[in-house]
Amino acid sequence: MPPLIRQVRNLFVSLRLTVVLLALSIILVFWATLGQVNLGVWGVQQRFFHSFFVFVRLGEFRFPVFPGGYLIGGLLLVNLVSAHAYRFRMGWRKSGIWITHAGLILLLVGELVSGLVQQDFQMRLDEGETRNYSESIRLNELAIIDATDPKFDDVVAIPESMLANGTVVQSPKLPFRVVPREYYPNSTVTLRSKTPNAPPSPATQGMGPMLAAVPAEVSYQDDLRNNPAAFVELVGPEGSLGTWIVHTLLGNPQEFNYAGRTWKLFLRPVRHYSPYSITLEKFSHDIYPGTDIPKNFSSKVRINPPEGGDGREVLIYMNNPLRYAGLTYYQASFDPSTDRTTILQVVRNPSWLAPYIACGAIALGLVIQFLIHLAEFARGRRRA
Amino acid sequence: MPSRTILSGLAAAALFLTACGEDKVATYRVPKEKEPELPMAAAADAGTPGDQAAGAPMADTSVPTASGADLAWEAPASWKAKPASAMRKASYSVAADAGESDLSVTAFPGDVGGELANVNRWRGQVGLSLLRADDLDSAVSRVESNGLKITIVELFPPGDPGAKSILGAIVPFGGSTWFFKLMGPEASVKASKPAFIGFLHTVKAP
Repeated sequence: MPPLIRQVRNLFVSLRLTVVLLALSIILVFWATLGQVNLGVWGVQQRFFHSFFVFVRLGEFRFPVFPGGYLIGGLLLVNLVSAHAYRFRMGWRKSGIWITHAGLILLLVGELVSGLVQQDFQMRLDEGETRNYSESIRLNELAIIDATDPKFDDVVAIPESMLANGTVVQSPKLPFRVVPREYYPNSTVTLRSKTPNAPPSPATQGMGPMLAAVPAEVSYQDDLRNNPAAFVELVGPEGSLGTWIVHTLLGNPQEFNYAGRTWKLFLRPVRHYSPYSITLEKFSHDIYPGTDIPKNFSSKVRINPPEGGDGREVLIYMNNPLRYAGLTYYQASFDPSTDRTTILQVVRNPSWLAPYIACGAIALGLVIQFLIHLAEFARGRRRA
Repeated sequence: MPSRTILSGLAAAALFLTACGEDKVATYRVPKEKEPELPMAAAADAGTPGDQAAGAPMADTSVPTASGADLAWEAPASWKAKPASAMRKASYSVAADAGESDLSVTAFPGDVGGELANVNRWRGQVGLSLLRADDLDSAVSRVESNGLKITIVELFPPGDPGAKSILGAIVPFGGSTWFFKLMGPEASVKASKPAFIGFLHTVKAP
């Protein structure tokens, strides 16, 4: 083995690296806990844990100043697997340690998979309402909908990040190119006539000319939603069709006709469609008598399977979610203004079982290792 | 020990796989969403005598409502349609984080006393002093949408954030005047303003 590779291997299998990584992770958790005051839980997750480096902004530039969760967790994984491959020897006396480490590896891999594939959505339902989609809590998309067909909508959904990056989108489903011109991650809209000092609007079509979008500071608070705005130009083969403003606060799509078809433009939360639909039959909200303190809230829903039929009724309440088709529906909130609207949190996490199995394996491994040591100790005493 | 090297290599590769998440344009076909129900059908003939039994207890009103062609619109999905009354062409409950507001759509024949009188009627409802004719133009915004001339009125009484406020629109159409009035606590009305402006943009002649 060449000396350089041997050195790298020795670094990866060393216990010293484990100690350094554990120390770094303690600092990271401490820093992130403090950061939660300003960034909120989601912001902290993104900045500290679901990243390779923690960046700090100095003037115009961002500098990586500390390893992030992915780097520390990933290196710990490499370190653990390499140590097992090169250093540890298989044997009954060490079986507890092997099981414990297998649990640790599963925990690390499970967290990695969760970070990569877990998706959080929300489903808001009024009593009697049926929906076959849930909406992202934080991510938005520009939906360009061909609404010509009386029965179906053909949707081209462009992620907000592409608007932010100014990525030009040319889809085979669209007879025009979509060119993002301006993007504000958070903003308000006002009537142009009420904002005399507003700069000229880039928008030439739809509602745009009568509105002014005013950029606002991005919020990381858990209970506040950012309202992004963008100006997008649509360019057909014969030239520009115009520039539209799109904004999550405009509750309706903007409609226009082009190439003999009816189109709708709508910046909305990212939608996740399911082959089945869910109907809210009844929402119940009980409070302790004489107070406003909630005692229990629950949603009686009906799952309508794609093949038709009556479906089945399920009661979703706190700590009793519905697991169906790879999604988990939790009772998250409700609309206090009507008391007839439920808000379900919808989570897709294929690795949700991993932490349970991992913790079980770690506990089992530790118990086995303890018993092995206990047996050896007892045997030693007997001999003495 | 090539197998050990491969094992370590796989673990390292898993680390770098995390960089592979990339946003992509999605295309799909979905059945058309059912539009939120508009109480238009029930309210369309609100002014005609035959419909009065279906209205609220106030149905026996002597105020004639416009009976010509109706304007059409699309209300945001989050607005909840309320039963229309004999006076109202449509009615919605508009919920925002800051509270709930009421949106009413009414229509009456003629100019109903003119723009100034109606703006002052609304100002009176939120406790603001009456305007003089000279001040009207600076107090309203005028926009044109779908061939309709819309006068937008914003009435937020100063000093009290919880006070009743009005965001209204006056639309002359077909010899009648249509009124779209969003009324509620200031914070709620302000939060619903962009959706209201978007809603106005969908108002069109049939």
